[in-house]
Amino acid sequence: MSEERTVLKINVDLNCDHKCERCEKFFECDDDIKWKIYGRRRMARAARTMKKIKYKVAVGGGKGGVGKSTTTANLAVALAQLGYKVSVLDQDFDGSTIPKLFGVMDKRMKLGEKGLKPVEGLLGIQMVSLGLIQKESEVVTMFHDMRRGTTEEFLAHVDYGERDFLLVDLPPGTSSDAVNLMQYIPDLNGLVVVTIPPYVSQLAAKKAAQIAMKAETPVLGIIENMSGYVCHKCGSEFDVLQRGGGEKLAEELGVNFLGRIPLNKQLSEASDAGEPFVYKYPDNPGTKGMMDIATRLVKVLEEGV
Amino acid sequence: MSDSNVKTEIDLIGINVDTSCSYDCANCERYFECQWPQKEDFLKHGFYPLAKENLKNVKRKILVLGGKGGVGKSMLATNLAAALAKLGKKVCVLDQNYDCPAVPIMLGIEGKKLLTGKNGFIPAEGAGGVKVVSMGLILSPDEVIIWFHDSKRAATEEFLTNVDFGELDYLIFDIPAGTSSETVNVMKLIPDMDGSIVITVPSEVSQNVAKRAILVSERAHVPVLGVIENMGPFTCPDCGEVVGILQSGGGGRLAREMGAEYWGSIPMDLEVSSSLDHGNPFVLQDEDFVGTRVIMTAAQKLIKKYE
Repeated sequence: MSEERTVLKINVDLNCDHKCERCEKFFECDDDIKWKIYGRRRMARAARTMKKIKYKVAVGGGKGGVGKSTTTANLAVALAQLGYKVSVLDQDFDGSTIPKLFGVMDKRMKLGEKGLKPVEGLLGIQMVSLGLIQKESEVVTMFHDMRRGTTEEFLAHVDYGERDFLLVDLPPGTSSDAVNLMQYIPDLNGLVVVTIPPYVSQLAAKKAAQIAMKAETPVLGIIENMSGYVCHKCGSEFDVLQRGGGEKLAEELGVNFLGRIPLNKQLSEASDAGEPFVYKYPDNPGTKGMMDIATRLVKVLEEGV
Repeated sequence: MSDSNVKTEIDLIGINVDTSCSYDCANCERYFECQWPQKEDFLKHGFYPLAKENLKNVKRKILVLGGKGGVGKSMLATNLAAALAKLGKKVCVLDQNYDCPAVPIMLGIEGKKLLTGKNGFIPAEGAGGVKVVSMGLILSPDEVIIWFHDSKRAATEEFLTNVDFGELDYLIFDIPAGTSSETVNVMKLIPDMDGSIVITVPSEVSQNVAKRAILVSERAHVPVLGVIENMGPFTCPDCGEVVGILQSGGGGRLAREMGAEYWGSIPMDLEVSSSLDHGNPFVLQDEDFVGTRVIMTAAQKLIKKYE
């Protein structure tokens, strides 16, 4: 007689304690009481701050290391070059890389009359990041409440002013930080999913998209990063990571495929140098890819395609 | 009267969050920085004694850290486990990635389910005889769950106290990106963690984050055994040109800066991601690949150190 049974579920507490801000089942919940959280002081303030920003787009992907931060930084530059006023919010609290990517690691955010002042960088792009507040090798360990508190601060008390775009760089994973953001900006225009070709990454990207759909956040499109490599010496093209997964995923989910960015040494060189590649290497194929993606994204947002 | 000396900008020293102590050590994120001598009292009750008892036949416990996402932590955890198994050791990988568990896929058992027996959950067996405990073996592929800190902590506690690990030479923890919940939970519940192996890619962006992971490890008194560099220089299969697509030398620099041993560089190669997608650890497939040699050497270093 077999004593082994399949494990169906993990034993977690399913009672509702009406603490909606801490609840991970927020999006599935039917209880109208959950909307009360938007009346709270900081949330109401966040709503007012966010109203002055025309388009709010989160950049995520679930999987780590696919290029969310690099895409956010370069998309910001591409949009700024197209004439828009752009702000970048670094939602990656443990591993904030936005300051490094823009070369502003030694600058710090300050407190002004109207609230926290973002750091201003290249092309007038504003940046908000925990990395611009902490000391350089300070390590942060934050559990849910501190993360939620920090998210609220960044959304309610930062003096962004009137902007055209707020791009939010989400960390890897599909939990706290991504969800907090979707909860706290109920009029978030959407999520852009960055993925790379491997299967493992596609799965994570799919999950990220599904959570966005659960939160009724539109998935604006998919970007396939690290898509193919061209040897600069002999010109041979390789799929270091098997191309094509991004398009398949877009088709499967019924969302736009925004474009692809090939692997190229100059891209990471630019990141390390603190100058986004779209600005530093205007002739790089990756730059062309990113400019196309920016244009397509604006079209999706303006026309609701 | 001039107001020009009035300061309108103040430097920020910290973010406005509540930092009072409620003596809830089990749930505290500042546990390792805390100097209160009685903080370890919480270990006398609750899950710690249960975890200690449950892990008594596990000889060595090793963390694989990176801090940064996508540097190859799961790749290293699974291949290192396979290498140790190839050298005759009894190994289990505990997948701490709850959002997007990839370990079952990388060890060829995607779709298998975790069974439960009279002594608790039974680890599934993957490629090379490596045992696996992962949320990926419990959730179905369409199930999308949002994990906040408490659920992750509860799941970690379940895994550590209710899995029937049996006799193991090595228990390898695959810790996801970040320096919060998943990293700290495990370090708190297992104060006698043997060591951590840190993986990074050459770019400075990655090293900066890896540094923080090393600092967390040191603060929790978990020794950093070695640093491995992944996604090192790529060799063009046609013309042989070697290119550091993600720059080069970063792994070595990180090791030197943090005073850790440098255990070598795994080059960027299609073979790596292909083997992960197909569930065939490359250490079991290709003996001549540089990456295989780096990981086999790492496994041998561990065995030499502990046996």
